[in-house]
Amino acid sequence: MTAPTETSLADLARTYLERQVWFHRAIAGKPAGELSLVAADVLREGEPGLARLLLARGAQRFQLLTGWREATAVGGVLKGRESALLGSASLRGNANHGVLVYDALADDDLLTRLLALVTEGRESAERVRRVATLVSHASLVFDERLFMKCYRVLEEGERPEVEMMFRLEAAGFEALLQPIARWRGYGCDLAVVREFLPSALEGRLLALTSLRDLLAHASGTDEQGAIGYVGGEIDPDVETASAGGDFSAEMRRLGVMTAGLHAAMSAAFGAQAAEPASVARIVTGAGSPRLAALGEQIGAAARGSLGVSIRVHGDYHLRRVMRTERGWLVAGFGDDPLYASAKPDPSLAPRVGSPIEDLADMCFSLHRVAAEALAQRPTSEAEVAAGLAAAWERRNREAFLAGYRESDGVGSLLPESPETVEVLLTAFEAVRADRYEATPAAR
Amino acid sequence: MSGDPTHAHGAPLLVPSAAKLSLPGAPTWRALGDDPRWYQKAVFYELLPRGFADSNADGIGDLRGIVGKLDYLGWLGIDCIWLLPYYPSPLRDGGYDVADYYSVAPECGSVDDLALLIEEAHRRGMRVISDLVINHTSDEHPWFKESRASRDNPKADWYVWSDDDQAMSDIRIIFCDTESSNWTWDNARQQFYWHRFFHHQPDLNYENPEVQEAMLQVVRFWLGLGLDGFRLDAAAYLYQREGTSGENLPDTHAFLQRMRKEIDCDFPNRMLLAEVNQWPADVVDYFGQGDECHMCFHFPLMPRMFMAVRREQRFPITEILAHTPDVPDGAQWGIFLRNHDELTLEMVTDEERDYMYAEYASDPRMRKNLGIRRRLAPLVENNRGIAELLHALLLSLPGSPVLYYGDELLMGDNIYLGDRDGVRTPMQWTPDRNGGFSQADFAQLFLPPSMDPVYGFQAVNVEAGLRDPSSFLHWLQRMLAIRRHYQVFATGGIEILPADNPSVLAYVRIPEGESGETPVLCVNNLSRFAQAAEIGLGRFEGCVPIELVGRTQFPVVGSGGYFLTLGPHGFYWLELEST
Repeated sequence: MTAPTETSLADLARTYLERQVWFHRAIAGKPAGELSLVAADVLREGEPGLARLLLARGAQRFQLLTGWREATAVGGVLKGRESALLGSASLRGNANHGVLVYDALADDDLLTRLLALVTEGRESAERVRRVATLVSHASLVFDERLFMKCYRVLEEGERPEVEMMFRLEAAGFEALLQPIARWRGYGCDLAVVREFLPSALEGRLLALTSLRDLLAHASGTDEQGAIGYVGGEIDPDVETASAGGDFSAEMRRLGVMTAGLHAAMSAAFGAQAAEPASVARIVTGAGSPRLAALGEQIGAAARGSLGVSIRVHGDYHLRRVMRTERGWLVAGFGDDPLYASAKPDPSLAPRVGSPIEDLADMCFSLHRVAAEALAQRPTSEAEVAAGLAAAWERRNREAFLAGYRESDGVGSLLPESPETVEVLLTAFEAVRADRYEATPAAR
Repeated sequence: MSGDPTHAHGAPLLVPSAAKLSLPGAPTWRALGDDPRWYQKAVFYELLPRGFADSNADGIGDLRGIVGKLDYLGWLGIDCIWLLPYYPSPLRDGGYDVADYYSVAPECGSVDDLALLIEEAHRRGMRVISDLVINHTSDEHPWFKESRASRDNPKADWYVWSDDDQAMSDIRIIFCDTESSNWTWDNARQQFYWHRFFHHQPDLNYENPEVQEAMLQVVRFWLGLGLDGFRLDAAAYLYQREGTSGENLPDTHAFLQRMRKEIDCDFPNRMLLAEVNQWPADVVDYFGQGDECHMCFHFPLMPRMFMAVRREQRFPITEILAHTPDVPDGAQWGIFLRNHDELTLEMVTDEERDYMYAEYASDPRMRKNLGIRRRLAPLVENNRGIAELLHALLLSLPGSPVLYYGDELLMGDNIYLGDRDGVRTPMQWTPDRNGGFSQADFAQLFLPPSMDPVYGFQAVNVEAGLRDPSSFLHWLQRMLAIRRHYQVFATGGIEILPADNPSVLAYVRIPEGESGETPVLCVNNLSRFAQAAEIGLGRFEGCVPIELVGRTQFPVVGSGGYFLTLGPHGFYWLELEST
C-alpha cells in the first residue's frame, strides 16, 4: 500500500488540529477529551495520495482530508501555504520510504480530484479557488461555476442546510443555488457541491447601495456651506419614492420569492396549524420591554387563528439572499452557526415555526441596513438622514410584504386576520431586535 | 439616373452650411472594402432625411443635403447611414405609411439623388441602408385604392379583407391608445380590412403570392440602385392566422428567408436588419440558421441601460444579457440608446412589461418617461458623465451600435411638438439661422429647430462641437476611433465578471477563435459616486491591463480579485495583454 500508516496519520492530524484556530473555536466550551482517530479512508493511493480522516473528541466528530507527496514535490505544491504541512510519515509496508503529509485543501490538484470523487465523476474542473474559511467548513470554488463546502466539524444525521437544499429542489423550488452532489459517510454530511453564480450579490449590498443613493440624493450644503440636507422641508416618503436607487421593486420580488420558499417548505416538510402556546412561547419567551408593550395584543391575537407552522428558514435576512440574473435566490440555510458564536443558537437554523418569523427577520434586516448606512453619514446630517432611512425602511418593508401577500398560496400559511399578521410580525421583529442586542457575536 | 451633382435635382448641389464646417484635418476617406460581414463591425447612424440638411432651401431636409454632410459623418467614424423613410407618403406616421415604393418623396429629392448619395457615401467607405415598410402600406397607396374598389379587381386579395370584424380577435392591438380594433370598416368595399398598426395602414396579404413577388420586386429595385440593405419595419407581423398571436408565424420566417436567398443570389454584401420588438429569445428566430436576417435590433437592452444607471446597479443589464441567446455565425445585434420611436410598453412581451412596469411605475421621475419619447440628453438631464457612460456601454456591449442623429451633440428635444416629432427636430449644424439646417424662412421649416436655452442650436451645434476640443462630439469621435481599432468589440464574445459592488458592471470581450486579438476588459461605474470594486479576473492571471484611451499600464492581474476604483459614472476599457 502506498499510503502512510494510520498511526502516523493520526499522530500528525492531532498535532495539526491543535494548531488550527477553527478547531479551538469548535471545541470551546465542550468538555475536555482526547482526540482519537475513528477512521482513515485512503481515497487515492500514489502520488499525490489522498485520505479522509475521521477524528472524534467526545461527542464531536471532525473530518480532515490529508494529502501526501514525495518530499521534493511538496514545496512547489504548498508554496505560500506552508502552514498546511502536517509532517513526514512513512508508507505502510515500506518504513524506509517517507512522504510529506499535508492538509489536502492546500493542493489544487487534489481538490479537483476531490470534486470528481464527491460528484462521482459527473463534474470536473481546471481551476480551484479557496474562499472564506469558516469554522465548520472550507469553501471552494471550481472554475467559477461550482461551489463545494467541505465540512470539518461534522454533524450526526442530515445537516439541515444540505437537507433543505435537496428537499426544496425536489419540491420544485428553483430560487436557490442548484444542489449538485452530496457526499455522505459515517451517518454525516461530509461535503456538498452546488452551483456557483459568480455575478450573484448578497441582498445587503444592494440594499446599502439603494439607501446610499437616497441619502446622497438629498444631501448638499446649506447657506453656511456646511454639508447637510438642502431644501429644509423635505418629505422623506416623497424623497424615497423618487430616489434613483429605489429598492422597492426588488423587495417586492424578494417577497414573491419568499412566498415561493415557504410554499415549497410546506410542500416538502408539511404544515400544521400553529398552536397558540407555541407562538406565545416564542413571542413572550424573551420577556423584553418591547414585547411587554405588545402583551395584550399578542394575547388577543393568540385567541384567533395563527396560521400554520412549517419548516422555516430560521435565519432569513439580506445576507442570506442573493440577487442574480435569475432573480432572487436563497443563498444558504443557517449554515455555520459555529462561525458566529461558540455556542450555536439553534433558533438560527431551519426549524418548525411560523412563516411570519422569516418575514420579521427580513424586515429587521432592512432595519439593520438602515442603521449601517446611517453610521456612514456625518453626524451633522443625522436627523434628516434618520428620517429618510426610516422612510426607506418603511417603503421597502411594505413592498416586501406586499410581494409576499400577493403571491399564490400564501393565504393558507398566514393567519386569516391581517391584524394578527401585523401583531405577530411586530412581535417577532422585537424578538429579533432583542436577540441582536443580547448577542454581540450576531453582529 | 445621373451622378452629376449639377443636374440630378434640377438645381446645383447646394449645401449651405458645409463650407462652415471645418473638420479637423483632411477628410479621412476609407475604402469600402469587400467584407460580406461588414455590418458586424459597422457603426450605424440613423437619420431623418427631412430633418438632416436642406440643400434647396425649401425648409425640408433632403437627400442632397445629406450628401453635403458625408465628410462630417466620415470624420465622426460612421460606417453605415440608415435613412428613415423617404418614400412618397401622406406622412400620417412619419413616412411609415408608404404611398409609392418606387420613388422618393419630391420634397426629399429623387431616385437620382439617392443614387448620388449612395455613390458619394461609397466613395468615402460608408454604406447606406434604408427603411423598408413591408407589412403594410398607406391607405393612399394605389394598391390599396384598387383593392378597396371592388371585391373582384386584380388587387382584391392584396390586402386582408373580411366580413367579420371578430375574426382573429385574440391578436393584440398594438396601438391601443388610438385604435380600438385591428379591423376597420371600408364603405367602398363593404368589408373590414386588417391593420396591425394605424387604421390608415392596411396590412398587405402575404398569403397572396403576387404580394410576395411585388415586395421582392421593390427590394430588387432599390438594391439595384446600390443600396446596401434594409431595415425591415414591423417584420414580425407579415402573416396572421386565427388562433395565433399573429406574430412570428412560421410563414413570416419563410418569406424573410426567401427574401434573403434572393438577395444573396443577386446582390452580394447586402444586409437585412429586422425591427422585431420582442423578447431576445423570440428575436433570435429572425436570424434563422444564418439564412434569414443578418441583424436584429435588441430592444430590451436600451431601457435597461437607462434603468441600471438610474438604479445604480448592474442587474437590469446583466439580467437581459443572461436572457439573450447566442446568435448564429454571421449574425449581429443592433443596439442603440435612443431612436426615432418611443419605447412603448405595449411593444414588449408580458414578462418585460411587468418588469418595466414594476420598476417604472413606482418611480415618479421614470413615470414621466413611461414610453420614453425623449432624446438622450434630456433623458439623462444633460449629464455629460452619464452620456459618456451610456455610450461606453453602447460601444462595448455585443452588437453594432446605432447612433441617432444629433445625439453626438447631446441635442435636446421639443416635447411640445407632440407625437414623435419631438425627437425629429432639425439637425443643428451651426449657431446661424435655422441652426444651419436650411436657408428657408423659419416659418417654412418642416419642424422648428430647438431654440431651447440649454439644448438650442445657438449653443449646441456641430460647429461649436468641432471647435471645442473637449466637446462630447470630439469625445465620441475618439471613442469610435478606438473601438474601430479593436475588432473584439464587434465580433467578440462577452463574459460578465463577478464584482463585489452592485454599482459596478464588469465584463470581458473575448476574441473569437484564434484571431490573435487580446481580450478587452470593460468596467463601468453605474453610480454617481466614486466606487471601488474587487473584480474576479482569475482566468486572466498574469495579464497586464492597458487602458485603451491613454495606453496607461495598470497593475498586473494576480491570483486573487482585481481591485479597481472608478470615478462617478467612470469606465475603463482595458486591453488584457498576456505577458
